[in-house]
Amino acid sequence: MTQLTQTSAGLVTDDIPLPRNPVERRGFFGSRRVTELISIIAGLALWEVAARFLIHNTAFLAPPSLVAVRAWQMIGDGTLLYNGWVSLQELIIGFVLGVVVGIAIGAAMVQWKLVDNALEVWISALYAAPIVALAPILIIWFGFGTSSKVAVVFIMVVFPMIISTQAGLESVDRRLLLVARSFCGSRWKTFRTVALPSAAPFIVSGMRQSVGRALVGVVVGELFGAKAGLGNVITTASSVFDMPTLFVAVVTLALAGVILTGILRSFELRLAAWRDVA
Amino acid sequence: MALIEFVDVGVSYRRRGGGETVALERTSLTIANGEFICIVGPSGCGKTTMLHCLDGLHTPTSGRILIDGREITAPGRDRAMVFQSASLMPWRTVVRNVTYGLELHGVPLREAIPRAQAMIELVGLVGFEDRHPGELSGGMQQRVNLARALVIDPEVILLDEPFAALDAQTRELMQTELLRVWDETKKTAVFITHQISEAVYLADRVVVMSARPGRVKAIVPVPIPRPRPASARRDPHMFEIESEVAALIDGMPTENVAV
Repeated sequence: MTQLTQTSAGLVTDDIPLPRNPVERRGFFGSRRVTELISIIAGLALWEVAARFLIHNTAFLAPPSLVAVRAWQMIGDGTLLYNGWVSLQELIIGFVLGVVVGIAIGAAMVQWKLVDNALEVWISALYAAPIVALAPILIIWFGFGTSSKVAVVFIMVVFPMIISTQAGLESVDRRLLLVARSFCGSRWKTFRTVALPSAAPFIVSGMRQSVGRALVGVVVGELFGAKAGLGNVITTASSVFDMPTLFVAVVTLALAGVILTGILRSFELRLAAWRDVA
Repeated sequence: MALIEFVDVGVSYRRRGGGETVALERTSLTIANGEFICIVGPSGCGKTTMLHCLDGLHTPTSGRILIDGREITAPGRDRAMVFQSASLMPWRTVVRNVTYGLELHGVPLREAIPRAQAMIELVGLVGFEDRHPGELSGGMQQRVNLARALVIDPEVILLDEPFAALDAQTRELMQTELLRVWDETKKTAVFITHQISEAVYLADRVVVMSARPGRVKAIVPVPIPRPRPASARRDPHMFEIESEVAALIDGMPTENVAV
């Protein structure tokens, strides 16, 4: 029992008898990884049973076993990799642009009151609006290629990034700004050494929350018109009721979401490490 | 030669909703080169305002502050402040907090880090270079705060109630440590406090301020020889000076003055 708990907490090589975090030590079923694994297996089993014995019709719901077979085929013939790569490119370019522009606009709004007054109302309106509805217009403007999807991802990401950057920069400890001024810090150096590090955890957390929106942006952009990509796979498959293929695309997108969020989460935890001990 | 001169310095703030608060009224004070001055007074006597003006963080409404005859208009490299709350960057390690001022002054890290290391030794924090402020006790944080100011090698060091938040024992220890460090560096020091015993133990002269509006009420010299080890606190002469300062403050609102 003890060994299992240690393994699940990632303390395999840790010989210290007392656990660092007693809350984690709740035995086999209390540990997070085990519960997660059981939950996934149970969900897949339920899905399989429902598809095989309740629905019977793969045009309505394909069982995970069939989805897995289809995924294997699509990996073999290269369609999954090709379409996944197209979507991933759109996602990354749009995401990076959205993050960079979002941080720049957010910072400008905190630095200059005029910019804040001019943009505030637009940003809160566009952040709250279901902005993905603009996707068809962007397809018309930018065409069926990569650039229109990049544009959709960009507008999905830029507004939450502006807002989290603003919140982060406004949370700066005024006493630290006074320290920078006392040591003759220029405006730029003060921004770089005090404001930006204070805001970093907010910015990364904003990035993590934007990943989901970015994925929605890619798929919706591709649904409205694309030559390739996972969204295109979904449209094509659903038009012929090819549920296994549709699910392969959906599961791939979900996995991408989990992985990207996980990467940003670990980044976030590392940045906030000094907060835990403070 | 006099290093610092306050000439008829007045500071007033505009209150929200009209009216003015006079924080400091026609204050004149001369501080000699290498002197340790403590400014003591009740809260609201403008002592922190005085220090911020001296650092250049705040501009007096009237009058002038001169260092070696030059008027102070902005923060400069000849002055460094030890802040009231340690005000360390929580994301920087101890050594990088100490190098912070040097970095802002454009000193490259390969030069700043050895200088910081020497200062860390001076304030007794060897072995803690790579810790973050959150892992340090209040006293240790104030040592970093002190090292960060000393490392830029200023002519004047300004201390704004740096030990106010510490417990009594740590506080006395830090006072003795401060004098040890000061004896080695011999900077001009201006130290703000509301604790009379702290002021008398540290200072060459104690400046007693009165409140609302703040002005210099009296200047009390402390002719006790240096170096002053911890045992100097029990010098009967020290008690006499403390009661003299206390008597000067007695006539004022005493909410925040402790002997």
